[in-house]
Amino acid sequence: MKLTRPFKSTACTLLLLCLGMLSIQRATAQQQRYTISGYVRDEQSGESLIGISIGKTGTTLGTVTNEYGFYSLTLPAGKHELQYTYIGYAPMKFTIDLTSNIRKDIRLAQADRQLNEVVITGKHQEKNINTLNTSLNKLDIAEIKKLPTLMGEVDVLRTIQTLPGVNTVGEGAAGFNVRGGNQDENLILLDEAPLYNSTHMLGFFSVFNPDAVKNINLIKGGFPAEYGGRTASVLDIRMKDGNDQRLGLTGGIGNIFSRLAIEGPIKKDQSSFIIAGRRSYMDILMKPFLSGDMADTKLYFYDVTAKANFKLNKNNTIFVSGYLGRDVFGFGNEANMNWGNTTGTVRWNHIFNSRLFLNLSTYYTKYDYSLEFKSDETDQVQQNFSWVSNIINYGVKPAFTYYVNAKNTLHFGLQSTYYTFKPGKSIATEDGRSDAIILRDKHALESAAYIDHEWKPTSRFGIQYGARLSGFQFLGKSTAFYYADTTPGIRKRLTGTEDFASGKVIADYYFLEPRVSARYGLNSTSSVKLSYARSAQYMHQLSTTASPTPIDIWTPVSNNVKPQVTDQVTAGYFYNAPGDQFEVSAEVFYKTMKDQLDFIDNANMYLNEQLEADLVSAKGRAYGLEIYAKRDIGKTTGWLSYTLSRSERQTPGISKNEWFLNRYDRTHNVNLVVSHEFTKRTSLGANWVFASGTPATFADARMEYQDWDIPYNTTDKRNNYRLAPFHRLDLSFTWKGKQLKRWKGEWVFSLYNVYARRNAYTVYFQQNKDDPTKTEAVRLSIIGSIIPGITYNFKF
Amino acid sequence: MKRFLYIFSILTAGAGFTACEDVIDLDVPEGKTYTVVDAWITNAPGKQDIRITQTVPYTSTQPAPVVDNAVVILSDLTDGTTYNFTFADGVYSYDPGADNSIGKLNHAYRLRVQLGEEIFEATDTIRNVPAIDSITYEYKKEEDAESGEEGYYARFHGRDLPGQTDYYWIRSYRNSLARKEADVFAINAAFNEGITDSAVFITPISEGITKYDKPFQLNETVIVRIASCTKASHTFLTHVESQLNNGGLFASILQNVKSNLVNTNTASQARVLGWFGTSGVKYNEKVIR
Repeated sequence: MKLTRPFKSTACTLLLLCLGMLSIQRATAQQQRYTISGYVRDEQSGESLIGISIGKTGTTLGTVTNEYGFYSLTLPAGKHELQYTYIGYAPMKFTIDLTSNIRKDIRLAQADRQLNEVVITGKHQEKNINTLNTSLNKLDIAEIKKLPTLMGEVDVLRTIQTLPGVNTVGEGAAGFNVRGGNQDENLILLDEAPLYNSTHMLGFFSVFNPDAVKNINLIKGGFPAEYGGRTASVLDIRMKDGNDQRLGLTGGIGNIFSRLAIEGPIKKDQSSFIIAGRRSYMDILMKPFLSGDMADTKLYFYDVTAKANFKLNKNNTIFVSGYLGRDVFGFGNEANMNWGNTTGTVRWNHIFNSRLFLNLSTYYTKYDYSLEFKSDETDQVQQNFSWVSNIINYGVKPAFTYYVNAKNTLHFGLQSTYYTFKPGKSIATEDGRSDAIILRDKHALESAAYIDHEWKPTSRFGIQYGARLSGFQFLGKSTAFYYADTTPGIRKRLTGTEDFASGKVIADYYFLEPRVSARYGLNSTSSVKLSYARSAQYMHQLSTTASPTPIDIWTPVSNNVKPQVTDQVTAGYFYNAPGDQFEVSAEVFYKTMKDQLDFIDNANMYLNEQLEADLVSAKGRAYGLEIYAKRDIGKTTGWLSYTLSRSERQTPGISKNEWFLNRYDRTHNVNLVVSHEFTKRTSLGANWVFASGTPATFADARMEYQDWDIPYNTTDKRNNYRLAPFHRLDLSFTWKGKQLKRWKGEWVFSLYNVYARRNAYTVYFQQNKDDPTKTEAVRLSIIGSIIPGITYNFKF
Repeated sequence: MKRFLYIFSILTAGAGFTACEDVIDLDVPEGKTYTVVDAWITNAPGKQDIRITQTVPYTSTQPAPVVDNAVVILSDLTDGTTYNFTFADGVYSYDPGADNSIGKLNHAYRLRVQLGEEIFEATDTIRNVPAIDSITYEYKKEEDAESGEEGYYARFHGRDLPGQTDYYWIRSYRNSLARKEADVFAINAAFNEGITDSAVFITPISEGITKYDKPFQLNETVIVRIASCTKASHTFLTHVESQLNNGGLFASILQNVKSNLVNTNTASQARVLGWFGTSGVKYNEKVIR
């Protein structure tokens, strides 16, 4: 992979800076200091535990385990009492005499009950008031499982939509919006491989199988330097490693789909695996009711998530994981569509020494779709029309963590991804004769070098600062199209094309993305934080509809399309009540977005080689206040979030060149999530959401033309009205059967949209179907009544 | 294509969820009033009409008020003939006689509409059009049809013209030309440029003459008109289509359709809505028995 000179030299400078800092740190660390390091795992399953606090009691010295469960804490020689704590686990405390570097792998036992009775002393390094990050929400799967569900199915994406700063354009919409960003501005990582489509069934269910998910981090601002490529958020999902102690089965049977996961040791204590699968069976359930055209209706999805890990020795672990998911829809032989993601990740964790940790990830990810129409078998002329498109990435990212001492940690690494886009290939066959349109492949290389320094000089003050140098090269073999600048809002005129050979750079962009996040502790229960992050995005999903469709393609920046650059500033106040009774935070953010992608009216994105002629570059801005209160111990747990925000953009040639609201703008957004445990075996979950209606463009006039009544908006302003507010209550009741030693089962009864509100997804304008002389506004509610769900979950 | 996604989203919603559509009252202030030019000239013999009206509030049940004081002139730019349209019975028309056509294949036309001081002009060309070879239909019982509606589902059979990229507007009627049924738009025999040439119209197009939920009934007549268009007119028509059928999960933003009628006085802010299009047309019909 070739890197250009400015890129190389800046990368070198960063590396030198990093080495320089290391030598300074070494010089200051001359008094006798030793390091205790190791992995923290669950006692029963052997799962590595993420975000465990390790602290020296009575002090603020401490650290947390990383995404692989590794920790490293350097302390002066001598005796220290260390404490390992995590919600849901019995704390572990012991005294250690540090006379040399010590490797100490720990296994923590889950607490029998919620930690109501266990009084935790000492500082929780992982608590929001103590971390350096702003705008970070961590969830583990146990918390997510407490929420009421749609049709009894635990869903990662539905859960994150209850967090402050996160919303969607409506029920059933694919994707989510974070802090006024578009859906395609979220970096969704499943075991470090990016996913391009996060939902099944056009948005109703997320692609993540809860049985295989361990941990979820959502970062909405103040991104650490290791993340890049998207500008609104990072949703980092980590899969379970698999139980390395004993074979186990988990699963669920529901009215929409069923799940089954098997996990167990390959070799006890050394290697394990997990395979989890799901399939929906709506088509099978519908079958008896369908005949004729509909008899062969296909409508289902499935996904398989698998992972294996091999602890080669004390210092080396290999992880192999993959995901395969597909949605299938069709009528008999005549129309067939399917789409889905495929990913594969191979990772190597290497401990160079007690203070230097490496994770080397390599990954493959693919999203593709295919459509096919065939003529009826009885037709005289036999025809076939097919259309396929895909995006494929290969990536590699070595990431180093250097635990310099208890107060200093360095993160640095490189990232590189090679992309191939196949925007579309369509073949039409008639009686054996074929014609095809094959849009040219696009290729690109995205690379980055980053470094950041976590520095906690005192117990009150801490700062994480760094930079990411990213670059993107739009490469041959391909053809560059050149367009003349014309009137804004009108399709650009093609002035020429140029062919580029394989590997030749057609266009390239480089950005230095500074990142900084700082914390100042006001007292033992509260802190304030500030952060700033610049991020660049080099590819976009081209979607002109309210919610992206499975056939909306991704396209890289090019000689015509510039990368989007976002700057975000965040300030927050964090409070953690004594005894960890509850925590509260309030954050404000302001962000500006440069070169956001927009479309001319009536843009054509499908099988269009010259689609860039229909793209325009917009300016965006978003700002808001987010309040979050959470309680995670006791019989009643849950959270309340409130967001007050605005998201708008300005696009030349659209809405009279004035600022207008984005489709996903919601002024107010309230989420209340509560779960209450009545007894050991029964619990209730409730979720209430309220959000201002999304902006919409309404027609105020109609024009009569060729027997049509065409809606027309004479204000020429986009999103000039708002739909009615959205609100909904969901409830669920969980009843656990007798918890036998091995077999554990539970019934989950859920009610979605309890008071059957018809929330508007869109309002559209039409001529009345029975009386075309009448024109009317129609409200579409995707979910218009109460939806019950029942699931039986088991664990063996 | 979008139709299939639409059906999919309905199925998804209908099968487990409970999607529903309600007609609602919107409190939208009355918009500005614009003049709308509805001008589509074809090579069909006989009288050709042009309608000029004004926009009305969207849910108004009143017919659009007719503009009767315009001066409407059509020029054949290829042979230099000029046709002065005269106003009567709510339309501007010109009648060359029952056996004669104003529109001629491969001729370019300019429409000139004068409203008070302002003059608006647009041009378009009549392109060649293929025949509709036949119309067939299939009876489906309630339970056999996608929409659950019993009746006769008709389709037409025809072949795209060879050579250049062709754009078509296919419109069906029920019993008479006064009752428009469905519209389908094609590029060559499919939906996109460059895929097929001189192929038979693909199934989603040929079946598009029957409304998804309004099949034909016994003894009704299916009338199909195929009209050739220029690329610009096709773009306008598909834009109209997207504004008329804009429901579902994948609704797009309401985006005003553009007009090709340009004010000859570039300094003037006055504008009109509508479109001037021209087509070669062919018809076929079939009685359901």
